[in-house]
Amino acid sequence: MSGLRQFFGQPRSLVGAGFLLILLVASLCAPLITPYDPNSLEFGPFMPLSAQHWLGTTALGQDIFAQFIYGARLTLLVGAVAGLIATLLSVTFGLAAAYLGGRVDEAINTLINVFLVLPGLPLVIVASAFLRGGGVWPVILVISFTGWAFGARVLRAQALALRERDFVQAAVVAGEGPGRIIFREMLPNMAGLIAANFFGAALYAVLSEAALSFIGVGDVSLVTWGTMLYWAQAKGALLQGAWWWVALPGLGIALLGTSFALLNFAIDEISNPKLGRSNVKLPARKKPAPGAGVGNPDALLSIRDLNVGYLTPGPTVRAVRDVSLDVQPGELLGLAGESGCGKSTLAFAVTRLLDPPGAVLGGSVRLAEHDLLNLSPEELRRVRWKEFSMVFQASMNVLNPVLKIREQVYDAMQAHGVTDKQKLDARARELFDLVGIQASYLDAYPHQLSGGMKQRVVIAIALALEPKLIVMDEPTTALDVVVQRQILQEINDVRRRLGISIIFITHDLSLLVEMSDRVAIMYAGEVVELAPAHQLYAHPAHPYTQQLMNSFPPMTGPRTRRSGIPGKPPSLSAEIVGCPFFERCNKRMPGVCDVKPLQTFPVAEEQTAACFLYDPTVSPALKENAIRDSQHVQMEVSRESAHSANLN
Amino acid sequence: MSQPTAPISTNASTPTNTIPNTLEIVNLRKVFGTRGKAGGVVAVNDVSFAIARGEVLGLVGESGSGKSTIARLIARLYTPTSGEIRLNGQPVPSRLGGRALRHLRKNVQMIFQDPYASLNPVHPVSYTLKRPLQIHGLARGDTEEQVNSLLERVGLSPASTYASKRPFELSGGQRQRVGIARALAVRPELILADEPTSALDVSIRLDVMNLMLDLKDQEGLSMLFITHDLAGARYMSDRVAVLYAGTLVEIGPAVEVIDRPQHPYTQLLKSAAPKPDAGLVPETIEARGEVPDLKTLPPGCPFEPRCPHALPECKAGLPRMYDVGEGHTARCILHDPAVQARRGQEVGVSR
Repeated sequence: MSGLRQFFGQPRSLVGAGFLLILLVASLCAPLITPYDPNSLEFGPFMPLSAQHWLGTTALGQDIFAQFIYGARLTLLVGAVAGLIATLLSVTFGLAAAYLGGRVDEAINTLINVFLVLPGLPLVIVASAFLRGGGVWPVILVISFTGWAFGARVLRAQALALRERDFVQAAVVAGEGPGRIIFREMLPNMAGLIAANFFGAALYAVLSEAALSFIGVGDVSLVTWGTMLYWAQAKGALLQGAWWWVALPGLGIALLGTSFALLNFAIDEISNPKLGRSNVKLPARKKPAPGAGVGNPDALLSIRDLNVGYLTPGPTVRAVRDVSLDVQPGELLGLAGESGCGKSTLAFAVTRLLDPPGAVLGGSVRLAEHDLLNLSPEELRRVRWKEFSMVFQASMNVLNPVLKIREQVYDAMQAHGVTDKQKLDARARELFDLVGIQASYLDAYPHQLSGGMKQRVVIAIALALEPKLIVMDEPTTALDVVVQRQILQEINDVRRRLGISIIFITHDLSLLVEMSDRVAIMYAGEVVELAPAHQLYAHPAHPYTQQLMNSFPPMTGPRTRRSGIPGKPPSLSAEIVGCPFFERCNKRMPGVCDVKPLQTFPVAEEQTAACFLYDPTVSPALKENAIRDSQHVQMEVSRESAHSANLN
Repeated sequence: MSQPTAPISTNASTPTNTIPNTLEIVNLRKVFGTRGKAGGVVAVNDVSFAIARGEVLGLVGESGSGKSTIARLIARLYTPTSGEIRLNGQPVPSRLGGRALRHLRKNVQMIFQDPYASLNPVHPVSYTLKRPLQIHGLARGDTEEQVNSLLERVGLSPASTYASKRPFELSGGQRQRVGIARALAVRPELILADEPTSALDVSIRLDVMNLMLDLKDQEGLSMLFITHDLAGARYMSDRVAVLYAGTLVEIGPAVEVIDRPQHPYTQLLKSAAPKPDAGLVPETIEARGEVPDLKTLPPGCPFEPRCPHALPECKAGLPRMYDVGEGHTARCILHDPAVQARRGQEVGVSR
């Protein structure tokens, strides 16, 4: 399992598991390590460190090292068994509450909360005072019964979320009973959390046992690290100068606790990858070749040979490959492509929002006179919002729920030196008017606005400092079609009125063709076609564009069967030889497209395509063959389908 | 709330023979979040429709329109507040258990929207496909062979390489094919497909839709195809039903409803849909506001506050479904003969 490999691949879990293993083996093999019985009183009191008694003896004449090694047995037992019982209780109560719901859930939840509110240690002390002197089991039971509640609450929350997941619903629809659903569908998905919970509970148990023994409420006739501390304290070990009598069990407890905690963290991190930190080192960016990075001098934004990747422990995922694009002042450039084609990565790189493990591997981005990729953080702060701004897909979620809309609209302007309240208010009203929201909503909180209105607020904020360029990544995808259309109209109006440039990124080509000046099509990290929107619509040049356009069912005309694009895009971590679309292309030319390094060729005025059908050095006969073959296939596919015939 | 029962009829061209409709729902209603108290959200407001054997009904609406809730009511993931569901003419009892429930589970299957969420990450494909067979006693000697033949049927071949894979090893399109295979495993009569393509990339959507159409033809399945995409509904469906704020506002033959929508809301949906083939001129839509809060729906037509054609009587009560011909009905008072007569020859809803 990749989880296990991941688990043992990190130093944290190795250290934790290693220490635990050493301790376990040592305590089990205690007679081989030390010749002494930990309870034997045959030696003199407070003997110093010596070859016979590595760590001297106690006030009663027991060998301290033997006590430490044998004491680990009970300490580990308490940790393991109490951890196990507490986890079992957590799982049972947590799952029962989440699965049964209703009154059972309410009752269990109340119980959990009562246990969480009760202060843990005093409860343990009171409870164990009643069970005093009965050996180790009462201690284990008391600790288990006081330690399950936290885990139960966490597991209940997880189970509640799992219960609503589609795969659980699918199992219900398939006819699975409750037992199977809990134990085969839900429980395996909670394994990581349960394991982490066990180590957390074990840690709590070890610490509780030590605390109990130390204050003398446990069974002090047993040998555990806790009782060692108790006797050392009671017999004045420190006064006698035998500090190691205290230090050794203390250190043992600390290390055991640390290793439990390390294992807990490690498992938590694997089951919740977002907690992980990236340790991958960023490489230095390739300096652009002399003469490159100039681009079209008239362009507002000029992207040249941009390469962006994600650095993984394996091969680098090259998400954007040698992309060059210009955006003219006042232009709306549409950027279309499917998931994983690199369009969002491009947006993040251009706006300098790319976080590790993402990294710009080469190329340049120039906006007006700013070399965006080489701005210092301070320069970037001054340029961002003022020269360019961003609107992202879920950006309505960027609004702070506890601040009034007004403050959030003011924020960017204040950061750029507008402080006059009247000016701020006037500008905010103006902006709201631009995006079609009543000014009265300035004093609302985000939760009082619908998704569409929140997205308008975000667009208003992006417009606040009249940037020259706004990068919009799927700004309307999460919205319903009608609201989407309204917002697109506002965006179009605003940009024409203010003359700003927009890069509009979406997977919805049909929408893009309607609203863009020019459209760039991305596939597997490359821009495969670039053309004015009307040209792209009327004469798509790249076979991918053609096949993509054909993938949208039409809203008018006769209903005929159409086909999508077979196959899937290549892996971006692989080296791609030739055209990345080769495998799925219906006009491919074997021996050309899968061999030659990909290049971009002019197709018509202002239209380019990265396709060898437009390579003047490829023989026309070969091209004609490829096109003829694709038409042949097309004929077979597009049968007037039976389902439209029997309808009309 | 009482209202006239909508006519339960399917495609007008379907001969009235003895084969009962695979599914009929009559005044189906679901109110969420009451827990004994008054109020609550009316997610599905007395919806009635039928699906004939071998028919695909497209159910179109925006988020919050109640379309997914209807599928989950039919699949009994939710219990209806009131109304009736009939399978093959037989009412499904409101309290379900034992054999009746297993009968429902065997005959009604669901395909979920997000193939990344609908397959359990811990189980290999073979487990996911084997379980329905075992639950319903359909597993013959060699379940492996049955699993392989299911995989082949949904276009995952060679099947043996897919059977042992776990979901994370599959692409979105492949996962959705596994989801379809799971639904087909028990040879159900009705498939509820809840936006089965909207989480997929454009280039593979059509192939998944084509697969569903082929399987429907081969197996004689009936299908509820839920979508927010009018073009997709037109491609897939024999008939289309349009939902707005939990209420059925229009139903009829797919091409009829989408080419000549008769309810102002359907017209709005159509004008808002992207359509590059319309000649690259963005259409300006006439619509006020957004979908209302389901907790504070107006007493009359739910679309009245946004409707460009609203009349005073729209506020009075929920209009009934008016027959506009060709098995096509719309819940709009503009089709009321009295209203039409009063407004002279001018019919507010342009054809």
